Amino acid sequence: MFGLDFLLNISSFLTIIAIISIFFIPYRYKAHLAASAVLFNAFATSFLALHVLTGNNLDFLVSAGSFFGNISIHIDDLSAWFILIINFSSITGVFYGAGYLKAYKDSSARLNLHWILFILFQLSMVWVCMLQHGFAFLVAWEVMSLSSMLLVIYDHNNPKTIRAGINYLVQMHISVAFLSVGFIWIYFQTSSFNFQGIETFSNSTNNILLFLIFFVGFGIKAGFIPLHTWLPHAHPAAPSHVSGVMSGVIVKLGIYGIFRVASFLGSDFILLGEIVLTISIITGIYGILNAAVHRDFKRMLAYCTIENIGIIGIGIGLGMIGIGNGSSLLYYLGFGGALLHVLNHSLFKSLLFYSAGSVYQQTHTRDMDKLGGLIKSMPQTALLFLIGAIAIAGIPPFNGFISEFIIYSGLVEGLKSNNLDQISLIVLTLAGISMIGGISILTFTKTFGTIFLGSAREKMHHKPQEVSYLMLIPQYFIIAAMLSVSFVPLFYIKPISKILHGLFSHFEISEPSAFLSYSENLSKISIYSTLFIGIIVLVWTIRLYVVRNKSKKMEPTWGCSYTAPNTRMQYTGKSFSKPLGKIFSFLLIERKQFHEIDNGEIFPVSRKYATFYHDFFETRIIDRITQRIIYAVNYFKFIQNGRMQSYVLYGIVFIIAIFILTFLDIIQ
Amino acid sequence: MLSVILIILAGIFFTGIVIRTKSIASGRKGPGLLQPIKDVIRLFKKGSVYSETTSFIFQIAPTIYFSSIIMAMLVVPFGQSKGLISFNGDFIFFAYVLALGKFFSIISALDTGSSFEGMGASREALYSMFAEPAFFILMGSLAILTGFSSFQEIFSALHLGSYVSYAIATLATFVLLMVAMVENSRMPIDDPKTHLELTMVHEVMILDNSGFDLGLILTAGYLKFAIFGALIFNLFVGMVSYQYAIPLFFAIEAFMAVLVGLIESFMARFRMSHNAQFIVALTSVALLIFFGVLLVSGKFL
Repeated sequence: MFGLDFLLNISSFLTIIAIISIFFIPYRYKAHLAASAVLFNAFATSFLALHVLTGNNLDFLVSAGSFFGNISIHIDDLSAWFILIINFSSITGVFYGAGYLKAYKDSSARLNLHWILFILFQLSMVWVCMLQHGFAFLVAWEVMSLSSMLLVIYDHNNPKTIRAGINYLVQMHISVAFLSVGFIWIYFQTSSFNFQGIETFSNSTNNILLFLIFFVGFGIKAGFIPLHTWLPHAHPAAPSHVSGVMSGVIVKLGIYGIFRVASFLGSDFILLGEIVLTISIITGIYGILNAAVHRDFKRMLAYCTIENIGIIGIGIGLGMIGIGNGSSLLYYLGFGGALLHVLNHSLFKSLLFYSAGSVYQQTHTRDMDKLGGLIKSMPQTALLFLIGAIAIAGIPPFNGFISEFIIYSGLVEGLKSNNLDQISLIVLTLAGISMIGGISILTFTKTFGTIFLGSAREKMHHKPQEVSYLMLIPQYFIIAAMLSVSFVPLFYIKPISKILHGLFSHFEISEPSAFLSYSENLSKISIYSTLFIGIIVLVWTIRLYVVRNKSKKMEPTWGCSYTAPNTRMQYTGKSFSKPLGKIFSFLLIERKQFHEIDNGEIFPVSRKYATFYHDFFETRIIDRITQRIIYAVNYFKFIQNGRMQSYVLYGIVFIIAIFILTFLDIIQ
Repeated sequence: MLSVILIILAGIFFTGIVIRTKSIASGRKGPGLLQPIKDVIRLFKKGSVYSETTSFIFQIAPTIYFSSIIMAMLVVPFGQSKGLISFNGDFIFFAYVLALGKFFSIISALDTGSSFEGMGASREALYSMFAEPAFFILMGSLAILTGFSSFQEIFSALHLGSYVSYAIATLATFVLLMVAMVENSRMPIDDPKTHLELTMVHEVMILDNSGFDLGLILTAGYLKFAIFGALIFNLFVGMVSYQYAIPLFFAIEAFMAVLVGLIESFMARFRMSHNAQFIVALTSVALLIFFGVLLVSGKFL
């Protein structure tokens, strides 16, 4: 009889075999092999995850030498939830990617590396969720960051891609630095690298600083402002299946970390919850405002990820306030909404990235203002993008509404508190999240309308066509999953309430009956959504019946008496969002590049006019800080002078110093 | 069920009253009260012209827009009787169902590839975005005041406390009336009778719609007004019994229609660039309600 840990062993073993054999198999089958490795790992770990979600937690011990001691692998409900999400996105990603990369027929070495990294990437993400030993966790975290960074720079001939990759690499290491500080601090206080150490630690010491250190570390991954600046660079640079998985899943691991750390905290929930709530609502508004104005549709999606992280963060903040207030309903609604939104966002964001990737593959541009009318040449992609857009705007009958509704209910529930600060904060959050909803309608009508509707704004070199079924089918699977969330919400709510029931073990949180009544609300909503669809079908049928014998003519669009319009005169995405950009010009910094006509210039030649939107936090805060640091570090340049002799000297000085210090018993 | 029937009845006359008021205010006799409905019926009988640029989005959008209004109508309660759909947090559903209709009306305007319609779509998206926070702060405040979170429970518990709640209801009327103006693209925000495409918001979005689709869009507009009228009516009625409530409902709807007509007769449309500020000011009125509620419920201590 094999234990369940046998599955983990065999998955690691097969992964190594797959990685080695990927070099030797013919070019055509590399993607197949990668896909089967990802599938196998996904099934193995999903089996464990399902085992946990339907039964008890799993614990394995791996002995790792005398220094690290035993590394505990612990799969609880929370890990299981994230593992399932990771696996679903990775599977759709690998199949979509196999189709997507067919266009790149250049080098086999590049493909080898790409698929190896993709397998590692998935496996490391899963391991991040399973490891409960600080040091081992950091190793898995690092493998995940490095493999995803190398996946981002697939198109490494482009200097912009390399820049984005380096930016990502540096920021991920700032994140690791914070996490290491956190784990080392705990190690020195409790002499344990295990996550349980956090619990021991937080029962004895003040939690606030520790939580904030972890929040910064995980928040860089998740993309809370002002730590978000890697996202808008890395996501557009990466190939679309990678950006889909990264945006769908890897940022969620930041959320996983925050959940994990929060679950070990012992006190100060109200203050920390209010901090998280405040940061999150600003993150949400800032993210969606930027998404609304950008022309690069993948960058727009990256900013939209930031917005959704904000919404998830609102849920987390509410849940923490709920613990602080002792209101278990608020706890369930806040954290439950956040967990469901993690799932939902991973679904529709990867769908949007995949369909945007299909557009990119066919048109070779990410600038939506050069596109238009693609719904005629790529109808399926257009429909997929439209469904993703409606879902992400949180509109019924799709799944985004379900999770946003839970978070809204949490906010309304939070209003019942008696604390004036909390009520004011929550009312402002309510206003903010409704504004986020409004702006995301603006953003996604703009994006969908500009890319797919109207007529083509510029002539394409080759006519765009519908992409291959290998790329379309994963997206249909995602839509099926999305519909299952919106029409059978209880199927997902039950595991969530199980996760939440066991998560904060040292708090008396009973399964509240009121939460179940909220879940009944959710099944009511799915009935009403069905009714809604029924009404639409009914009206449509009536329409078909009434107009069946009526005349139907096709004429040019009404041009307001102007008879010679051309396609360049259509409203562009840029002009669509310009009024919003003007109103929020204090946050959305617009830089214009143009030459004014000089005084003496009698025969002006043709000239260019270009505008760019800059990230407020990047240009106004982070760049300035880095410039100061570079300026200060400049003074120490003489140390790195490029002369081998001085480097040898440094080594000798160091060895002598160690020797003397040990000799004098100053260090031991 | 009662609310649905009453809203449809009110919707039939609402726009007629607005137009009649405007005619009388400008010294004309004006068309009959049923003229808007006759227009719609005439449209239903006509064939349609589609733009060559458009896709199936343009054909399906009016249907979805109309259905979203119907769906929103089912949520609205009538005094003590629930709407057909009623659950905790149904006002969120209400707002988001309306948003789906808006989403489709915006993309159908973009589908024509006309720069004028794009302009109108952009403005519609922007203004309705600014109106959202006011509505949600208002509903949140009423939820604090009453301790409930569905339309029907909130409205029936609103006046059980003290008479101060009528003052709050009056402010809330202002907010809802203005939200209705934004949602329906009526006067201070948008002039439905303007003659220049550049200055239109809603009217320019439906320039290319014709026949049955245009009829659907117009009907949806009439119903939308009546829905907001019903919400305002609910702010005051609470537990009043039906024989008073039903006449009161029509009185309030008629009063609102006359008010809209008078506003449109005696006010000029705001400058486009001032609209956003105006709608943000609406949010601050909603915040005023919030503080009022805090005072009344004694949480300001």
